[in-house]
Amino acid sequence: MNYPVWDIPASGLLIAAIAVLHVFVSHFAVGGGLYLVLLERKARRNEDGPLLDFAKRLSRFFILLTLVFGAITGVGIWFVIGLVHPQATSSLINTFVWGWAIEWTFFFVEIAAAMVYYYGWDRLPARTHMAVGWIYAFAAWMSLVVINGILAYMLTPGAWTLTRGFWDGFFNETYWPALVARTFVAAGLAGLFAIWVASWVPDRSLKARIARDAAWRWVLPMAVAIPLSLAWYLSAAAGAGVPVAEVFGARDGSLAALLSAVFSTGLATGHPVAQRAAWWVMVAAVALTLLTLLLAAARSRSFGRPFAALLLVLGLVAMGGSEWVREGLRKPWVIGQYMFVNALRLPAPDGVPAPPEAFVERFGADRFTLDAVNASGVMKASSWVRPVPAHLLSPDAYAARAEHQGRELFRVLCSACHTIDGYQAIRPLVRGRSPESLAGVIGRLASPVDAAGNASAWNVLPVHVKTWRNRRMPPFAGTDEELQLLAAYLALVGGADPSALGPPAPSDDVGKAYYDTNCAACHASDGVAPFDPGGRTPAEFYEMIGRLPGINEMMPAFEGTEAQRKALAEHLASLPGKTPTGGAR
Amino acid sequence: MIPAIPQPDPLALPAPAWFLWALLLLLFFLHLIPMNLVLGGSIIGAIARVRGRRPDRPHEARLAHIVVKAMPVLISVTVTFGVATLLFLQVLYGRLFFASAVVMGWWWLSVIGLLILTYYAAYLLAMRESSLGAAATILAWLVAALAGTIALIYSNNMTLMLKPAEMVALYAADGSGVQLNLLDRSLLPRHLHMVLGAMAVGGLAIAVLGVVRRKHDEAFGLWAVRYGAFICTAATVVNIFAGLWWLAALPRDVLLQFMGRDMRATGELLAGILLTLTGAGHTVLAATGKRPGVMVTISAVTLLAGIAMMLLTRDTIRRISLELAGFQTVNWVAPQWGPIVIFLALLVAAVGTVVWMTRALVIARPGRQP
Repeated sequence: MNYPVWDIPASGLLIAAIAVLHVFVSHFAVGGGLYLVLLERKARRNEDGPLLDFAKRLSRFFILLTLVFGAITGVGIWFVIGLVHPQATSSLINTFVWGWAIEWTFFFVEIAAAMVYYYGWDRLPARTHMAVGWIYAFAAWMSLVVINGILAYMLTPGAWTLTRGFWDGFFNETYWPALVARTFVAAGLAGLFAIWVASWVPDRSLKARIARDAAWRWVLPMAVAIPLSLAWYLSAAAGAGVPVAEVFGARDGSLAALLSAVFSTGLATGHPVAQRAAWWVMVAAVALTLLTLLLAAARSRSFGRPFAALLLVLGLVAMGGSEWVREGLRKPWVIGQYMFVNALRLPAPDGVPAPPEAFVERFGADRFTLDAVNASGVMKASSWVRPVPAHLLSPDAYAARAEHQGRELFRVLCSACHTIDGYQAIRPLVRGRSPESLAGVIGRLASPVDAAGNASAWNVLPVHVKTWRNRRMPPFAGTDEELQLLAAYLALVGGADPSALGPPAPSDDVGKAYYDTNCAACHASDGVAPFDPGGRTPAEFYEMIGRLPGINEMMPAFEGTEAQRKALAEHLASLPGKTPTGGAR
Repeated sequence: MIPAIPQPDPLALPAPAWFLWALLLLLFFLHLIPMNLVLGGSIIGAIARVRGRRPDRPHEARLAHIVVKAMPVLISVTVTFGVATLLFLQVLYGRLFFASAVVMGWWWLSVIGLLILTYYAAYLLAMRESSLGAAATILAWLVAALAGTIALIYSNNMTLMLKPAEMVALYAADGSGVQLNLLDRSLLPRHLHMVLGAMAVGGLAIAVLGVVRRKHDEAFGLWAVRYGAFICTAATVVNIFAGLWWLAALPRDVLLQFMGRDMRATGELLAGILLTLTGAGHTVLAATGKRPGVMVTISAVTLLAGIAMMLLTRDTIRRISLELAGFQTVNWVAPQWGPIVIFLALLVAAVGTVVWMTRALVIARPGRQP
C-alpha cells in the first residue's frame, strides 16, 4: 500500500509465467555451457568431425535461446516483480544491490563469452576456443551461485532478520541444498536440450550416439541426484522453520507422509496450490525418467522431434512445478520473517538495527508494519487507495460503502493472491457466508506462535505463523471497522442481500454471536462441515466445547468466557439439523 | 495529507549515495553509447538499405550489411549495461521508479516482449540477410521501429517518475497499468532529442568505420567518412532545435535553473552544446579530406565528452524536478564494504577477461580453425 497495486487480476500469474520460462532456459544456460565445452573437447580429442559439427549447431541454438530469450526474460522477471511486488523488490534491491552487481559481472562475462564462442568457431585456435567455452561455463554457473543466495534468502532469510547483514541473508539455511539442486537441474536440462537438438540430426548413427550419451550421462543420473538434493532442501527448509508438512497438509515432515499428502485428494488443510504443483512435479518427473530410459534403451536411433519435445515439456512442468512449490512454501511471506505477500512488514523486533533519528525525522516512523496499519487503517496509510466519497459515510449507505471500501481493502490486502472469479477465486469461498462468519475468519487468518505452538508476538523472532486451516494466509491488517467492511464486501461478493447489510451491532444473543464469528465459517450448512446437533443437550455441548481440538484437530480451542461457553452450548442445542444457519442468502 | 512519494524501506542505503550516483551515471553512459548505435544505427541502416537498392549506390548497400551484422552484438551490449544502470537507478530512486512503472504497468512490461522481438529480428537479419529478399528491408525497419518504441516507453517512465502528484492522479483514473505520460509537454521533445542524438552518434560511428576501413578499401572508407559526417552534422544541427524545444517545455522553475540561476546546471548545458557542436564540426572537417583520421578522433572525443555533459544535464533536470516535488535522499547509510570490494575486484577481472576474449576474436582470421 506504500506503492500502487497493479490493478489486474492474478498479477502473480504473470510472474509465474515469465519466471517458469526463464528458469527453464537459464538453468539450461548454466548446464548447457558445460555440456558444450565437454562435447567440443570430446569431438576434438577423437577428431570426430560430425560431433564437432553438432557442437556448432548446438551452440547456435544455445545462443539464440539463452542470450536472447533467457537473458531478456531474466530482465523480465525483474520488471514484473517490480510491478507486482514493488515493496518487496525495493527491499531486495536495497539489501542485495551488491549481490546483483556481483552477479552482473558474471553475466557480462557470460554474454561476451557466449558471443565469442559462437563467432569464434571458425576463427579462434582450438585451445582459445575451448578456453572461452570454459570461461562461459564458469561465469554462467557463478551467476547461479550468486542469484541462488537471493532466491534462497526469500524463503529462509537466516540471521539477516536480526542483523540486516548482507552475508547473513545470503548464506542462509537453504543456500547450499538449493545450489546443489539447481546445479543438478542445470545438468539435466543440458541433456534434455541436447536430445532436442539431436532430434533434428538426419544422421541416425550420430543422433543415437548423442541421445544415448545425453540420456545416460546427463539426464538419468539427475533423476536420482535431484530428488535427493530436494529432500535435503526440504529438510533444511523445515529446520529453518518453514512449515513444510503444514503446507502439504501432511501428518508430519517425513518423506512418506509428504508423498502421501501430495497424492491425497481433497485435503482440508494446507496450501492447495503448492499441493497441486507438487503432484505435477512428481508425475512429470517420473514420466520424464521413464521416457528417457525408453529413449536410451530402445529408441535412440528412431526418436523424432515430437518425442524430444515431449521430454522438454515434461522437464518444463517438473521444473516450473518445483518453483511453484518453493513459492508455496514461502507463503504467507514474500520475504521470510520480514514481509508478507501483501507488502506488510512485521514490526521491527528488538535488536534489529533501527533507523537513526535523522531518518525518522525526515521520513517519519514506518507506516507499513502490521502494527502501524492496524492503528492507522489501510485507507489512511496509503495515497494509492480511492478515498470513500462522503455520501457513503452515513450508516444508511453501509452496503454501498462496503462495496467501495471493501473493494479497495480487497485490492490492497488480498489481490496479490486472490481474484474474484479467476485464479484462487474468492467468490466460491465466500458464497452464502454472513458478514459475521467472514469477519470471524478474517480475524483469525494468521497469528504468531513460537516453535512449540504457543501464542507469541509478531515482533518476537523467529515468527511461526499459525494460519487458518493451514492455508498460509497473512494476517488481516487494518482497523476493526475495516475488517467489518471487508467482511461485508466479501459477503456481497458471495451473494448477500445489500439491503440486509448494516453496521455490525452488538447482539443480544451471546451464543449466536459467538457461533457466527467463530464457528459458522466451517459449520454453516454449506460449509466444509455442516453442523448437526444430533439431539445433544446444552450440557453435552458445554462439555464438548472444552475439548474441541480433541474432537477434531482442525478445530481451535475455545477461547471465550464462561458466559459465552454456556450461551454457545444453548445456541448449538437450539440449532436445527443440517439447515442453513446464520449467513446472508 | 498522505505524501505521494512512497516511504523508503526501513533499511540503510548499502553504499554512500554519491558512490551509487557515480556508478549510475557511469553505467548509463556506457549503456547510452551502444543504445544510440542500436537506435540511430538501425534507422540509418534501414535508410541505407532502401537507398542501396540502386546499383549506383553500392556503398550504402554495404553499410546496411555492416549494420545488420553488428546489430545483435550492439543490442547485447546495450542490454548488458542497461541492466546495471537500472539496478542503481532503483537503489537511488526506486520509490519513484516502481510507482511510475506500476502506473504504466502493461507498457513497461511490454518492453520485454518488444526487446525479444527486436533481438530475434536482428538475429534473423544477421543470419539470413541474403536469403530474405524484400523481407530484409521490412525487418530492418521493424528493428528501428521497435528500438524507437522501447526508447519512447523508457522516456515515459523516466519523465513520469519525476512527477509524483501526477502519478497518483493517473493511477486514480485507471490503475490497470495502461496510462502513459503523454500529457507531459517535455516528453516528445525529450524523445526527439534522444533519437536525433542517437542518429548523430550513429553518424559518428560510420565516420569512424570509414577511417578504419579506408586503409583496405579507400573508396568505401572515404565515402563512409563523408556519409557519417553528413548524418552526424545534420542530426546535431536539427537537434539544437529539438533541445531548445525540450528546454522550453520544462517546467518554469526547472528551466530557470539552466538560465543562470544554478551555475552548475547552466555550465553543464553550455559545455554540452559546445562540445557536441565541436564534435559535429570536426566530422565536417574530416569529410573535406584533410587528415580524416585525426579529425574523426577529435570529433569522437569531443562528442563523447558532450554526451557526458548532456547526461549531467539530464541528471540535473531530475535532481531539480525531484527537489521541487519534495523528494529527499535516504539519509541512513551503512555501506556493505565487503560486497562492494568484491564487486569492484570482479569488475576489473570481468573487463580483463572480456577484453582478452574480444581481442582474441578480433585478431584471429576467419577460417584459421578448426
